[in-house]
Amino acid sequence: MHIRFWGTRGSLPVAPHASTIAEKVSRALFAANGRSFASEAAARAFVEGELEFAVGKTYGGATSCVEIDLGAGPFVICDMGSGLREFGLDSLRRCNAEGRPQEYHFFLSHLHWDHIMGFPFFVPAFLAGAKIVIHAGHADAEEALRRQQEEISFPVPFDWLKADIAFRTLETGREYRIGRLDVSLIEQHHSHSSYGYRFRDDRGKVAVYSTDSEHKIDLMHGEADVVGFFEAADLVVCDTMYSLADTVSMKEDWGHSSNIVAVDLCHAARAQRLALFHHEPTYSDADIQRMYRETIRYEELTRDDAPLEVICAHDGLCIEV
Amino acid sequence: MGSGEIAWAFEERGNASLVAPAGRVDEATAAEFAERLSKFAETCRDTMILDLEGIAYMSSRGLRALTLAQRRASECGTTIVLARPNPTMREILAISRYDRIFTVTETIEAAQDD
Repeated sequence: MHIRFWGTRGSLPVAPHASTIAEKVSRALFAANGRSFASEAAARAFVEGELEFAVGKTYGGATSCVEIDLGAGPFVICDMGSGLREFGLDSLRRCNAEGRPQEYHFFLSHLHWDHIMGFPFFVPAFLAGAKIVIHAGHADAEEALRRQQEEISFPVPFDWLKADIAFRTLETGREYRIGRLDVSLIEQHHSHSSYGYRFRDDRGKVAVYSTDSEHKIDLMHGEADVVGFFEAADLVVCDTMYSLADTVSMKEDWGHSSNIVAVDLCHAARAQRLALFHHEPTYSDADIQRMYRETIRYEELTRDDAPLEVICAHDGLCIEV
Repeated sequence: MGSGEIAWAFEERGNASLVAPAGRVDEATAAEFAERLSKFAETCRDTMILDLEGIAYMSSRGLRALTLAQRRASECGTTIVLARPNPTMREILAISRYDRIFTVTETIEAAQDD
């Protein structure tokens, strides 16, 4: 399966100012140091091969939306952040090009604004013939989605959507067969609760989506459950919004985790890869890149045996599991 | 990293207590580390100096134990100061930003003067 990141930012969408782009271009030109390029492709190769990520690219600013792509059949999507708008359009392109059905299975971590705000802009929801199943650990998922399309918040009411939309509440402690995936979930510490999802495909490959999950300092004994949920996963997408110091001081009880707790949990679970996710909206690309490098270093310092590969998720990233 | 037991030394120095654990604070030893450290934090001196010279490495659970101990220590007005971290521990304190919520000193004497 492939994991496509359509939105990786936490809490609030962000977009670069004109000055941010000007700064990147300036740094790129300075790094090129007068070099000339015979073609745009050659210039692109320079960007890909020689510029650091934060100069040549951006981690992006859309909020949480991650696709579990099995290459055929229904689409599987975790969360409906602002990245969902772009996914919706791309899915229709794939339906036309590849003959895939307009069938969508969503798995919601929770119902906070940044995780559902993309749904009113999800074009397939407006299409008669499209089928949408919204899976959630929360029984009030439908209420949350309907409420954000009430007149006070949005011009198009939920009932005007033409797709066949169904809601399904899932329970922890069970494994569900949904499409071609085995799916289980775990309750996490977050305001109004959140849920992490574990997906296993028919080849036995496992991807875990665990965002908006605070690992409470006075409940460390309970982390064995999280380690069990991450056990031997091929990929864990993990909330790494804050530094550890922030999670135990000013931002305690804000419902998020840190990069180094994520590494420790993945080490304990013998996971193969960790994707840093739900980036702090106040972070610049340079800040995220610094956090990424520090996380890689922490993993090296604390590694027991097999290395854990650390990836920094960004909007547009697609990785094979 | 392999784990073992953590050895502890304790002495009083004026208005400070000096606590010196030795070993690796990892998943296997973190619970014991947290429990012993919180007990030492109840000694209620002005300062509790945690001598990190003998600590090879500390996971996030060990770092979080430092915060729990500081909370316990604060109940009787004690401040925990971290002294003499090795280069690995210094890096871990920086990456976790714990060097922003704890005072970190190069020597025991500097910790006493803090």
